[in-house]
Amino acid sequence: MNNLLIPLRLSWHVVVRNWMVYRKDFLANISPTLADPALMMAALGVGLSPFIGQINGLSYAQYLAPGMIATTALFTAFFECSYGFYVRMTFESVFKAMLTTPIGVREVVIGEFLWLFIRAALMSTGVGLVLAVMGLLPNPWALFLFPFIGGFLSLPCGAIGLIAAAQVRNINQFQTVYSFLIAPIYFLSSVFFPLDDRPVLGFIVQFSPFYHGVRLLQISAWGTWDLQEILFHIGALIVFTVVLGAWALRRIEQKLTA
Amino acid sequence: MSSAPSTPLIIRARAVTKRFGDFEALQGMDLDVRAGECVGLLGPNGAGKSTFIGCLYGVVERDKGELEIFGYDPAKNPRLIKERLGVVPQENALDEGLTVLENMKIYALFGGLSSKAALPRIQELLAHMSLEHKQDATIRTLSGGMKRRLTFVRALLSDPELLILDEPTAGLDPTVRHLLWDKVLSFRQAGKTVLVTTHYMHEAELLCDRIVILNKGSVVGKGAPRELIEKEAPGYVGIFGHDTESKLSPHLHAAWDVFHQGRQCCVRAPKLEDLMHLQQLSGIQALQLRPSNLEDVYLKLTGRDLDDNE
Repeated sequence: MNNLLIPLRLSWHVVVRNWMVYRKDFLANISPTLADPALMMAALGVGLSPFIGQINGLSYAQYLAPGMIATTALFTAFFECSYGFYVRMTFESVFKAMLTTPIGVREVVIGEFLWLFIRAALMSTGVGLVLAVMGLLPNPWALFLFPFIGGFLSLPCGAIGLIAAAQVRNINQFQTVYSFLIAPIYFLSSVFFPLDDRPVLGFIVQFSPFYHGVRLLQISAWGTWDLQEILFHIGALIVFTVVLGAWALRRIEQKLTA
Repeated sequence: MSSAPSTPLIIRARAVTKRFGDFEALQGMDLDVRAGECVGLLGPNGAGKSTFIGCLYGVVERDKGELEIFGYDPAKNPRLIKERLGVVPQENALDEGLTVLENMKIYALFGGLSSKAALPRIQELLAHMSLEHKQDATIRTLSGGMKRRLTFVRALLSDPELLILDEPTAGLDPTVRHLLWDKVLSFRQAGKTVLVTTHYMHEAELLCDRIVILNKGSVVGKGAPRELIEKEAPGYVGIFGHDTESKLSPHLHAAWDVFHQGRQCCVRAPKLEDLMHLQQLSGIQALQLRPSNLEDVYLKLTGRDLDDNE
Protein backbone atom coordinates (compact mmCIF):
# COMPACT_ATOMS: atom_id res chain seq x y z
CA MET A 1 0.00 0.00 0.00
CA ASN A 2 2.76 2.39 0.99
CA ASN A 3 4.54 1.60 -2.23
CA LEU A 4 1.65 3.19 -4.06
CA LEU A 5 0.71 5.98 -1.67
CA ILE A 6 4.14 7.47 -1.02
CA PRO A 7 5.02 7.94 -4.72
CA LEU A 8 1.58 9.47 -5.30
CA ARG A 9 2.08 11.89 -2.43
CA LEU A 10 5.51 12.80 -3.81
CA SER A 11 4.02 13.34 -7.28
CA TRP A 12 1.46 15.62 -5.70
CA HIS A 13 4.32 17.65 -4.19
CA VAL A 14 5.58 18.25 -7.74
CA VAL A 15 2.12 19.65 -8.55
CA VAL A 16 2.28 21.94 -5.51
CA ARG A 17 5.70 23.19 -6.61
CA ASN A 18 4.52 23.90 -10.15
CA TRP A 19 1.46 25.71 -8.86
CA MET A 20 3.57 27.94 -6.57
CA VAL A 21 5.75 28.95 -9.51
CA TYR A 22 2.79 29.27 -11.90
CA ARG A 23 0.72 31.58 -9.73
CA LYS A 24 3.60 34.08 -9.55
CA ASP A 25 2.94 34.96 -13.18
CA PHE A 26 -0.70 33.99 -13.18
CA LEU A 27 -1.93 36.49 -15.73
CA ALA A 28 0.95 35.93 -18.15
CA ASN A 29 0.52 32.18 -17.80
CA ILE A 30 -3.21 32.07 -18.23
CA SER A 31 -3.49 34.64 -21.07
CA PRO A 32 -2.43 32.68 -24.17
CA THR A 33 -4.50 29.63 -23.36
CA LEU A 34 -7.64 31.71 -22.93
CA ALA A 35 -6.94 34.59 -25.31
CA ASP A 36 -6.07 32.43 -28.32
CA PRO A 37 -9.36 30.52 -28.43
CA ALA A 38 -11.30 33.74 -27.71
CA LEU A 39 -9.59 35.46 -30.62
CA MET A 40 -10.18 32.46 -32.86
CA MET A 41 -13.88 32.49 -31.95
CA ALA A 42 -14.10 36.21 -32.68
CA ALA A 43 -12.33 36.01 -36.03
CA LEU A 44 -13.65 32.73 -37.40
CA GLY A 45 -16.77 32.09 -35.38
CA VAL A 46 -18.24 35.57 -35.38
CA GLY A 47 -16.43 37.10 -38.36
CA LEU A 48 -16.41 34.26 -40.84
CA SER A 49 -19.48 32.30 -39.76
CA PRO A 50 -22.09 34.43 -41.62
CA PHE A 51 -20.37 33.69 -44.94
CA ILE A 52 -20.45 29.96 -44.41
CA GLY A 53 -23.50 27.75 -44.68
CA GLN A 54 -24.53 25.28 -42.02
CA ILE A 55 -22.51 22.19 -41.25
CA ASN A 56 -24.64 19.22 -40.21
CA GLY A 57 -27.35 21.65 -39.07
CA LEU A 58 -24.91 23.76 -37.01
CA SER A 59 -23.78 27.33 -37.61
CA TYR A 60 -20.04 27.56 -38.26
CA ALA A 61 -19.55 29.22 -34.85
CA GLN A 62 -21.29 26.25 -33.21
CA TYR A 63 -19.21 23.88 -35.28
CA LEU A 64 -16.01 25.60 -34.22
CA ALA A 65 -16.86 25.96 -30.50
CA PRO A 66 -15.85 22.53 -29.09
CA GLY A 67 -12.61 22.69 -31.04
CA MET A 68 -11.63 25.73 -28.99
CA ILE A 69 -11.60 23.61 -25.86
CA ALA A 70 -9.40 21.11 -27.64
CA THR A 71 -7.16 24.00 -28.70
CA THR A 72 -6.71 25.09 -25.10
CA ALA A 73 -5.94 21.55 -23.98
CA LEU A 74 -3.46 20.92 -26.81
CA PHE A 75 -1.52 24.15 -26.40
CA THR A 76 -1.49 24.01 -22.62
CA ALA A 77 -0.16 20.48 -22.85
CA PHE A 78 2.39 20.94 -25.58
CA PHE A 79 3.92 24.21 -24.39
CA GLU A 80 3.97 23.27 -20.72
CA CYS A 81 5.62 19.93 -21.39
CA SER A 82 7.99 20.97 -24.18
CA TYR A 83 9.28 24.51 -23.54
CA GLY A 84 8.16 24.53 -19.92
CA PHE A 85 9.73 21.24 -18.95
CA TYR A 86 12.85 21.90 -21.01
CA VAL A 87 13.43 25.23 -19.26
CA ARG A 88 12.92 23.62 -15.85
CA MET A 89 15.30 20.80 -16.77
CA THR A 90 18.02 22.77 -18.56
CA PHE A 91 18.13 26.43 -17.61
CA GLU A 92 16.68 26.25 -14.11
CA SER A 93 18.21 22.86 -13.16
CA VAL A 94 15.11 22.29 -11.05
CA PHE A 95 15.48 18.51 -11.09
CA LYS A 96 19.13 18.53 -10.01
CA ALA A 97 17.91 19.63 -6.61
CA MET A 98 14.53 17.89 -6.65
CA LEU A 99 16.04 14.47 -7.32
CA THR A 100 18.21 14.72 -4.21
CA THR A 101 15.00 14.59 -2.16
CA PRO A 102 12.84 11.46 -1.86
CA ILE A 103 11.28 12.39 -5.22
CA GLY A 104 12.40 10.19 -8.13
CA VAL A 105 12.13 10.60 -11.89
CA ARG A 106 8.90 8.63 -12.03
CA GLU A 107 7.31 10.93 -9.46
CA VAL A 108 8.54 13.93 -11.46
CA VAL A 109 6.88 12.67 -14.65
CA ILE A 110 3.65 11.56 -12.96
CA GLY A 111 3.58 14.91 -11.15
CA GLU A 112 3.91 16.73 -14.47
CA PHE A 113 0.97 14.74 -15.88
CA LEU A 114 -1.16 15.41 -12.80
CA TRP A 115 -0.36 19.10 -12.97
CA LEU A 116 -1.16 19.15 -16.67
CA PHE A 117 -4.48 17.34 -16.17
CA ILE A 118 -5.57 19.85 -13.54
CA ARG A 119 -4.56 22.84 -15.63
CA ALA A 120 -6.16 21.54 -18.81
CA ALA A 121 -9.33 20.63 -16.91
CA LEU A 122 -9.62 24.13 -15.44
CA MET A 123 -8.86 25.80 -18.78
CA SER A 124 -11.40 23.62 -20.55
CA THR A 125 -14.01 24.62 -18.00
CA GLY A 126 -13.14 28.29 -18.47
CA VAL A 127 -13.37 28.17 -22.25
CA GLY A 128 -16.53 26.06 -22.03
CA LEU A 129 -18.21 28.69 -19.84
CA VAL A 130 -17.39 31.42 -22.33
CA LEU A 131 -18.83 29.31 -25.16
CA ALA A 132 -21.99 28.64 -23.14
CA VAL A 133 -22.45 32.35 -22.47
CA MET A 134 -22.03 33.03 -26.19
CA GLY A 135 -24.84 30.53 -26.78
CA LEU A 136 -22.66 28.22 -28.81
CA LEU A 137 -23.37 24.98 -26.94
CA PRO A 138 -26.42 23.12 -28.29
CA ASN A 139 -25.95 20.76 -25.35
CA PRO A 140 -25.08 22.90 -22.29
CA TRP A 141 -24.72 19.79 -20.09
CA ALA A 142 -21.45 19.21 -21.90
CA LEU A 143 -19.98 21.78 -19.54
CA PHE A 144 -19.71 19.00 -16.94
CA LEU A 145 -17.82 16.76 -19.35
CA PHE A 146 -15.36 19.32 -20.68
CA PRO A 147 -12.93 19.25 -17.73
CA PHE A 148 -12.62 15.45 -17.97
CA ILE A 149 -12.27 15.31 -21.75
CA GLY A 150 -9.97 18.34 -21.85
CA GLY A 151 -7.81 16.96 -19.03
CA PHE A 152 -7.70 13.51 -20.58
CA LEU A 153 -6.88 14.92 -24.02
CA SER A 154 -3.98 16.92 -22.59
CA LEU A 155 -2.15 13.80 -21.33
CA PRO A 156 -1.02 12.24 -24.64
CA CYS A 157 -0.35 15.73 -26.03
CA GLY A 158 1.78 16.49 -22.98
CA ALA A 159 3.60 13.20 -23.48
CA ILE A 160 4.52 14.33 -27.00
CA GLY A 161 5.85 17.54 -25.46
CA LEU A 162 7.96 15.61 -22.92
CA ILE A 163 9.37 13.33 -25.61
CA ALA A 164 10.28 16.44 -27.61
CA ALA A 165 11.86 17.98 -24.50
CA ALA A 166 14.06 14.89 -24.11
CA GLN A 167 14.86 14.79 -27.81
CA VAL A 168 15.77 18.36 -28.80
CA ARG A 169 19.38 19.53 -28.73
CA ASN A 170 18.45 23.15 -28.08
CA ILE A 171 15.34 25.14 -27.38
CA ASN A 172 14.94 26.39 -30.97
CA GLN A 173 14.22 22.89 -32.21
CA PHE A 174 10.79 22.98 -30.58
CA GLN A 175 9.83 25.31 -33.41
CA THR A 176 10.37 22.43 -35.84
CA VAL A 177 8.31 20.08 -33.70
CA TYR A 178 5.57 22.69 -33.61
CA SER A 179 5.59 23.41 -37.34
CA PHE A 180 5.75 19.85 -38.59
CA LEU A 181 3.84 17.96 -35.92
CA ILE A 182 1.69 20.07 -33.61
CA ALA A 183 0.42 22.60 -36.17
CA PRO A 184 -0.66 19.95 -38.73
CA ILE A 185 -2.32 17.93 -35.97
CA TYR A 186 -4.10 21.09 -34.88
CA PHE A 187 -5.28 22.35 -38.24
CA LEU A 188 -6.28 19.01 -39.77
CA SER A 189 -8.08 17.20 -36.94
CA SER A 190 -11.64 18.35 -37.72
CA VAL A 191 -11.48 21.41 -35.48
CA PHE A 192 -12.00 23.73 -38.48
CA PHE A 193 -13.80 21.51 -40.98
CA PRO A 194 -15.53 18.12 -40.90
CA LEU A 195 -13.67 15.12 -42.30
CA ASP A 196 -16.79 13.15 -43.30
CA ASP A 197 -16.08 13.43 -47.02
CA ARG A 198 -12.32 13.13 -46.80
CA PRO A 199 -11.49 9.43 -46.33
CA VAL A 200 -7.70 9.77 -46.67
CA LEU A 201 -7.28 12.59 -44.17
CA GLY A 202 -9.97 11.00 -42.03
CA PHE A 203 -7.84 7.85 -41.86
CA ILE A 204 -4.54 9.64 -41.18
CA VAL A 205 -5.86 11.67 -38.25
CA GLN A 206 -6.87 8.47 -36.46
CA PHE A 207 -3.17 8.21 -35.55
CA SER A 208 -3.20 11.47 -33.64
CA PRO A 209 -4.52 11.47 -30.07
CA PHE A 210 -5.73 15.03 -30.57
CA TYR A 211 -8.34 13.99 -33.14
CA HIS A 212 -10.01 11.56 -30.74
CA GLY A 213 -10.24 14.24 -28.07
CA VAL A 214 -11.68 16.73 -30.55
CA ARG A 215 -14.35 14.24 -31.57
CA LEU A 216 -15.31 13.53 -27.93
CA LEU A 217 -15.65 17.27 -27.29
CA GLN A 218 -17.72 17.75 -30.45
CA ILE A 219 -20.00 14.82 -29.63
CA SER A 220 -20.68 16.17 -26.16
CA ALA A 221 -21.05 19.83 -27.22
CA TRP A 222 -23.47 18.98 -30.03
CA GLY A 223 -25.23 16.18 -28.20
CA THR A 224 -24.81 13.78 -31.12
CA TRP A 225 -24.44 10.68 -28.97
CA ASP A 226 -23.23 7.49 -30.60
CA LEU A 227 -22.08 5.01 -28.00
CA GLN A 228 -19.91 3.00 -30.35
CA GLU A 229 -18.06 6.05 -31.56
CA ILE A 230 -17.63 7.38 -28.03
CA LEU A 231 -16.16 4.11 -26.80
CA PHE A 232 -13.85 3.98 -29.80
CA HIS A 233 -12.44 7.45 -29.15
CA ILE A 234 -12.10 6.85 -25.42
CA GLY A 235 -10.29 3.60 -26.13
CA ALA A 236 -7.98 5.30 -28.61
CA LEU A 237 -7.17 8.07 -26.12
CA ILE A 238 -6.37 5.50 -23.43
CA VAL A 239 -4.04 3.62 -25.77
CA PHE A 240 -2.27 6.83 -26.84
CA THR A 241 -1.96 8.00 -23.23
CA VAL A 242 -0.45 4.71 -22.06
CA VAL A 243 1.93 4.26 -24.99
CA LEU A 244 3.09 7.87 -25.28
CA GLY A 245 3.17 8.28 -21.49
CA ALA A 246 5.40 5.22 -21.07
CA TRP A 247 7.64 6.42 -23.87
CA ALA A 248 7.88 9.89 -22.32
CA LEU A 249 8.74 8.40 -18.92
CA ARG A 250 11.50 6.31 -20.47
CA ARG A 251 13.00 9.23 -22.38
CA ILE A 252 12.88 11.59 -19.40
CA GLU A 253 14.42 8.88 -17.21
CA GLN A 254 17.30 8.61 -19.67
CA LYS A 255 17.61 12.37 -19.71
CA LEU A 256 17.59 12.99 -15.97
CA THR A 257 19.65 10.00 -14.88
CA ALA A 258 22.82 8.49 -16.27
CA MET B 1 41.14 8.84 13.42
CA SER B 2 37.86 9.80 14.98
CA SER B 3 35.89 6.66 14.28
CA ALA B 4 36.66 3.15 15.38
CA PRO B 5 36.00 0.34 12.88
CA SER B 6 33.05 -0.68 15.06
CA THR B 7 30.94 2.34 14.13
CA PRO B 8 28.44 1.53 11.39
CA LEU B 9 29.31 2.00 7.75
CA ILE B 10 27.25 4.77 6.16
CA ILE B 11 28.74 4.39 2.69
CA ARG B 12 30.27 1.18 1.41
CA ALA B 13 31.53 1.08 -2.16
CA ARG B 14 33.40 -1.84 -3.72
CA ALA B 15 34.79 -1.82 -7.26
CA VAL B 16 32.11 0.57 -8.53
CA THR B 17 32.39 1.21 -12.25
CA LYS B 18 30.56 3.56 -14.56
CA ARG B 19 31.14 4.16 -18.23
CA PHE B 20 29.68 6.89 -20.44
CA GLY B 21 30.19 5.68 -23.99
CA ASP B 22 33.96 5.37 -24.39
CA PHE B 23 34.73 7.32 -21.25
CA GLU B 24 35.34 5.34 -18.06
CA ALA B 25 34.14 7.73 -15.39
CA LEU B 26 34.64 5.29 -12.53
CA GLN B 27 37.07 2.37 -12.72
CA GLY B 28 36.69 0.26 -9.62
CA MET B 29 36.01 2.86 -6.96
CA ASP B 30 36.32 1.70 -3.34
CA LEU B 31 35.23 3.78 -0.38
CA ASP B 32 34.17 3.30 3.22
CA VAL B 33 32.63 6.13 5.18
CA ARG B 34 31.73 5.47 8.79
CA ALA B 35 29.17 7.25 10.92
CA GLY B 36 30.51 10.53 12.26
CA GLU B 37 33.33 10.85 9.75
CA CYS B 38 34.00 13.65 7.33
CA VAL B 39 35.59 12.32 4.18
CA GLY B 40 36.90 14.54 1.40
CA LEU B 41 36.92 13.50 -2.25
CA LEU B 42 39.64 15.30 -4.18
CA GLY B 43 40.59 14.99 -7.80
CA PRO B 44 40.78 16.89 -11.06
CA ASN B 45 37.68 17.84 -13.02
CA GLY B 46 36.50 14.68 -14.73
CA ALA B 47 38.10 12.37 -12.15
CA GLY B 48 34.71 10.89 -11.28
CA LYS B 49 33.76 12.73 -8.08
CA SER B 50 30.36 13.95 -9.20
CA THR B 51 29.64 10.66 -10.99
CA PHE B 52 30.30 8.81 -7.74
CA ILE B 53 28.10 11.20 -5.77
CA GLY B 54 25.34 10.72 -8.35
CA CYS B 55 25.61 6.94 -7.80
CA LEU B 56 25.02 7.44 -4.07
CA TYR B 57 21.49 8.78 -4.47
CA GLY B 58 20.48 7.05 -7.64
CA VAL B 59 20.67 9.69 -10.38
CA VAL B 60 23.63 7.84 -11.85
CA GLU B 61 23.26 4.10 -12.20
CA ARG B 62 26.54 2.26 -11.76
CA ASP B 63 27.49 -0.45 -14.23
CA LYS B 64 29.19 -2.85 -11.81
CA GLY B 65 30.34 -3.17 -8.24
CA GLU B 66 28.68 -3.11 -4.84
CA LEU B 67 27.28 0.04 -3.32
CA GLU B 68 25.40 0.50 -0.06
CA ILE B 69 24.29 3.66 1.69
CA PHE B 70 22.70 3.10 5.10
CA GLY B 71 22.75 -0.55 4.04
CA TYR B 72 20.53 0.07 1.00
CA ASP B 73 21.42 -0.26 -2.66
CA PRO B 74 20.74 3.10 -4.34
CA ALA B 75 19.88 1.36 -7.61
CA LYS B 76 17.04 -0.45 -5.82
CA ASN B 77 15.93 1.76 -2.93
CA PRO B 78 16.91 5.34 -3.72
CA ARG B 79 13.98 6.76 -1.78
CA LEU B 80 14.95 5.08 1.51
CA ILE B 81 18.43 6.57 1.12
CA LYS B 82 17.27 10.02 0.04
CA GLU B 83 14.97 10.30 3.05
CA ARG B 84 18.09 10.32 5.24
CA LEU B 85 20.55 12.50 3.37
CA GLY B 86 20.94 16.14 2.44
CA VAL B 87 22.75 17.27 -0.68
CA VAL B 88 24.36 20.57 -1.59
CA PRO B 89 24.76 20.10 -5.34
CA GLN B 90 27.29 21.99 -7.46
CA GLU B 91 24.51 24.16 -8.85
CA ASN B 92 22.17 25.72 -6.31
CA ALA B 93 19.11 25.01 -8.48
CA LEU B 94 16.85 27.25 -6.40
CA ASP B 95 13.57 28.47 -7.90
CA GLU B 96 14.66 31.97 -8.93
CA GLY B 97 11.16 33.44 -9.14
CA LEU B 98 10.08 32.33 -5.67
CA THR B 99 10.94 33.85 -2.31
CA VAL B 100 13.36 32.33 0.19
CA LEU B 101 10.51 31.10 2.35
CA GLU B 102 8.55 29.64 -0.58
CA ASN B 103 11.60 27.76 -1.81
CA MET B 104 12.22 26.26 1.59
CA LYS B 105 8.54 25.39 2.12
CA ILE B 106 8.52 23.39 -1.08
CA TYR B 107 11.63 21.46 -0.09
CA ALA B 108 10.30 20.90 3.42
CA LEU B 109 7.28 19.34 1.74
CA PHE B 110 9.52 17.21 -0.51
CA GLY B 111 11.46 16.11 2.56
CA GLY B 112 8.30 14.93 4.29
CA LEU B 113 7.99 17.65 6.95
CA SER B 114 4.45 18.52 7.94
CA SER B 115 3.48 22.10 7.15
CA LYS B 116 3.20 22.73 10.90
CA ALA B 117 6.74 21.55 11.61
CA ALA B 118 8.18 23.17 8.50
CA LEU B 119 7.97 26.87 9.36
CA PRO B 120 9.81 26.80 12.72
CA ARG B 121 12.45 24.49 11.23
CA ILE B 122 12.97 26.79 8.23
CA GLN B 123 13.20 29.89 10.41
CA GLU B 124 15.64 28.21 12.78
CA LEU B 125 17.94 27.25 9.90
CA LEU B 126 17.64 30.64 8.20
CA ALA B 127 18.70 32.30 11.44
CA HIS B 128 21.51 29.78 11.75
CA MET B 129 22.79 30.88 8.32
CA SER B 130 22.15 34.60 9.03
CA LEU B 131 19.43 34.76 6.41
CA GLU B 132 16.39 35.45 8.57
CA HIS B 133 16.10 39.03 7.27
CA LYS B 134 15.85 37.67 3.69
CA GLN B 135 12.85 35.44 4.31
CA ASP B 136 10.58 37.28 1.88
CA ALA B 137 13.22 38.22 -0.70
CA THR B 138 12.99 36.73 -4.18
CA ILE B 139 15.89 34.41 -4.97
CA ARG B 140 17.10 36.38 -7.95
CA THR B 141 17.74 39.40 -5.71
CA LEU B 142 20.15 37.43 -3.49
CA SER B 143 23.94 37.48 -3.78
CA GLY B 144 25.88 34.34 -4.72
CA GLY B 145 26.91 33.81 -1.11
CA MET B 146 23.34 34.09 0.15
CA LYS B 147 22.11 31.61 -2.43
CA ARG B 148 24.79 29.15 -1.38
CA ARG B 149 23.86 29.53 2.29
CA LEU B 150 20.23 28.96 1.36
CA THR B 151 21.21 25.80 -0.49
CA PHE B 152 22.77 24.61 2.79
CA VAL B 153 19.51 25.42 4.59
CA ARG B 154 17.66 23.36 2.00
CA ALA B 155 20.00 20.40 2.47
CA LEU B 156 19.54 20.50 6.25
CA LEU B 157 15.73 20.87 6.31
CA SER B 158 14.86 17.26 6.98
CA ASP B 159 17.63 16.84 9.56
CA PRO B 160 19.76 14.42 7.49
CA GLU B 161 22.20 11.88 8.91
CA LEU B 162 24.52 12.24 5.94
CA LEU B 163 25.41 15.50 4.24
CA ILE B 164 26.85 15.41 0.73
CA LEU B 165 28.60 18.60 -0.35
CA ASP B 166 29.65 18.91 -3.99
CA GLU B 167 32.15 21.78 -4.19
CA PRO B 168 30.31 23.64 -1.43
CA THR B 169 32.36 26.84 -1.39
CA ALA B 170 33.42 27.23 -5.03
CA GLY B 171 33.47 30.89 -6.01
CA LEU B 172 32.54 32.27 -2.58
CA ASP B 173 34.24 35.05 -0.66
CA PRO B 174 36.35 34.10 2.39
CA THR B 175 33.76 35.32 4.90
CA VAL B 176 31.00 33.10 3.55
CA ARG B 177 33.45 30.25 3.20
CA HIS B 178 34.39 30.47 6.87
CA LEU B 179 30.75 30.65 7.89
CA LEU B 180 29.95 27.52 5.91
CA TRP B 181 32.97 25.64 7.26
CA ASP B 182 31.83 26.51 10.73
CA LYS B 183 28.36 25.12 9.99
CA VAL B 184 29.81 21.90 8.59
CA LEU B 185 31.97 21.49 11.70
CA SER B 186 29.00 21.98 14.02
CA PHE B 187 26.96 19.53 11.92
CA ARG B 188 29.78 17.03 12.51
CA GLN B 189 29.85 17.74 16.22
CA ALA B 190 26.28 16.49 16.34
CA GLY B 191 27.69 13.11 15.27
CA LYS B 192 26.60 13.38 11.65
CA THR B 193 28.48 12.16 8.60
CA VAL B 194 29.81 14.33 5.77
CA LEU B 195 31.11 13.56 2.29
CA VAL B 196 32.61 16.59 0.56
CA THR B 197 34.22 17.18 -2.82
CA THR B 198 36.43 20.20 -3.21
CA HIS B 199 39.28 21.74 -5.15
CA TYR B 200 40.41 23.76 -2.14
CA MET B 201 43.11 21.81 -0.34
CA HIS B 202 42.84 24.06 2.66
CA GLU B 203 39.14 23.28 2.92
CA ALA B 204 39.82 19.56 2.72
CA GLU B 205 42.52 19.75 5.39
CA LEU B 206 40.33 21.81 7.67
CA LEU B 207 37.13 19.77 7.45
CA CYS B 208 38.11 16.21 6.75
CA ASP B 209 39.30 13.32 8.92
CA ARG B 210 40.20 11.46 5.82
CA ILE B 211 40.97 12.36 2.24
CA VAL B 212 40.43 10.19 -0.80
CA ILE B 213 42.16 11.32 -3.97
CA LEU B 214 40.61 10.24 -7.24
CA ASN B 215 42.23 10.28 -10.62
CA LYS B 216 40.73 8.95 -13.82
CA GLY B 217 37.97 7.15 -11.99
CA SER B 218 39.91 5.32 -9.32
CA VAL B 219 41.44 5.98 -5.92
CA VAL B 220 45.11 6.96 -6.11
CA GLY B 221 45.63 7.96 -2.50
CA LYS B 222 43.86 7.98 0.82
CA GLY B 223 44.38 8.67 4.47
CA ALA B 224 44.25 11.41 7.08
CA PRO B 225 45.57 14.70 5.66
CA ARG B 226 48.77 14.69 7.76
CA GLU B 227 49.39 11.00 7.08
CA LEU B 228 48.99 11.52 3.36
CA ILE B 229 51.46 14.38 3.35
CA GLU B 230 53.95 12.35 5.40
CA LYS B 231 53.59 9.39 3.11
CA GLU B 232 53.39 10.95 -0.34
CA ALA B 233 55.19 14.29 -0.14
CA PRO B 234 57.11 14.74 3.11
CA GLY B 235 59.48 17.62 3.72
CA TYR B 236 59.68 21.20 2.51
CA VAL B 237 59.08 22.90 -0.79
CA GLY B 238 61.07 25.76 -2.23
CA ILE B 239 59.48 27.75 -5.01
CA PHE B 240 61.92 29.49 -7.34
CA GLY B 241 61.28 32.06 -10.06
CA HIS B 242 61.23 31.25 -13.75
CA ASP B 243 64.39 30.49 -15.72
CA THR B 244 66.16 29.37 -12.55
CA GLU B 245 66.29 25.66 -13.24
CA SER B 246 69.57 25.68 -15.18
CA LYS B 247 71.32 27.40 -12.26
CA LEU B 248 69.69 25.17 -9.67
CA SER B 249 70.17 21.83 -11.36
CA PRO B 250 73.90 21.29 -10.67
CA HIS B 251 73.12 21.49 -6.95
CA LEU B 252 70.00 19.31 -6.84
CA HIS B 253 70.01 16.02 -5.02
CA ALA B 254 68.83 13.02 -7.05
CA ALA B 255 66.31 12.00 -4.39
CA TRP B 256 64.63 15.40 -4.35
CA ASP B 257 61.44 16.04 -6.18
CA VAL B 258 61.65 18.73 -8.84
CA PHE B 259 58.53 19.96 -10.63
CA HIS B 260 57.06 22.98 -12.32
CA GLN B 261 54.09 25.09 -11.44
CA GLY B 262 53.45 27.40 -14.32
CA ARG B 263 56.85 29.02 -14.94
CA GLN B 264 58.06 28.45 -11.44
CA CYS B 265 60.51 25.72 -10.56
CA CYS B 266 59.66 23.86 -7.36
CA VAL B 267 62.00 21.69 -5.33
CA ARG B 268 60.85 19.42 -2.52
CA ALA B 269 63.56 18.26 -0.11
CA PRO B 270 63.38 16.35 3.17
CA LYS B 271 64.62 19.20 5.35
CA LEU B 272 64.34 22.95 5.42
CA GLU B 273 68.16 23.15 5.71
CA ASP B 274 68.51 21.34 2.38
CA LEU B 275 66.67 24.18 0.70
CA MET B 276 68.62 26.88 2.57
CA HIS B 277 71.80 25.21 1.45
CA LEU B 278 70.52 25.08 -2.14
CA GLN B 279 69.91 28.83 -2.03
CA GLN B 280 73.49 29.44 -0.91
CA LEU B 281 75.07 27.11 -3.47
CA SER B 282 73.07 28.39 -6.44
CA GLY B 283 72.93 31.98 -5.34
CA ILE B 284 69.20 32.10 -6.00
CA GLN B 285 66.69 33.17 -3.39
CA ALA B 286 63.50 31.13 -3.33
CA LEU B 287 60.26 33.08 -3.74
CA GLN B 288 58.82 30.98 -0.97
CA LEU B 289 59.92 28.21 1.38
CA ARG B 290 57.16 26.22 3.05
CA PRO B 291 56.32 22.85 4.57
CA SER B 292 54.81 20.52 2.00
CA ASN B 293 51.02 20.42 2.03
CA LEU B 294 48.05 18.57 0.62
CA GLU B 295 48.35 20.36 -2.69
CA ASP B 296 51.78 18.79 -3.20
CA VAL B 297 50.26 15.38 -2.56
CA TYR B 298 47.38 16.12 -4.88
CA LEU B 299 49.60 17.30 -7.72
CA LYS B 300 51.98 14.38 -7.28
CA LEU B 301 49.20 11.79 -7.35
CA THR B 302 47.01 13.24 -10.08
CA GLY B 303 49.74 14.35 -12.45
CA ARG B 304 51.04 17.86 -12.84
CA ASP B 305 50.27 18.39 -16.49
CA LEU B 306 46.84 19.19 -17.85
CA ASP B 307 47.02 16.51 -20.54
CA ASP B 308 47.41 13.86 -17.85
CA ASN B 309 43.78 14.44 -17.03
CA GLU B 310 42.02 16.05 -19.94
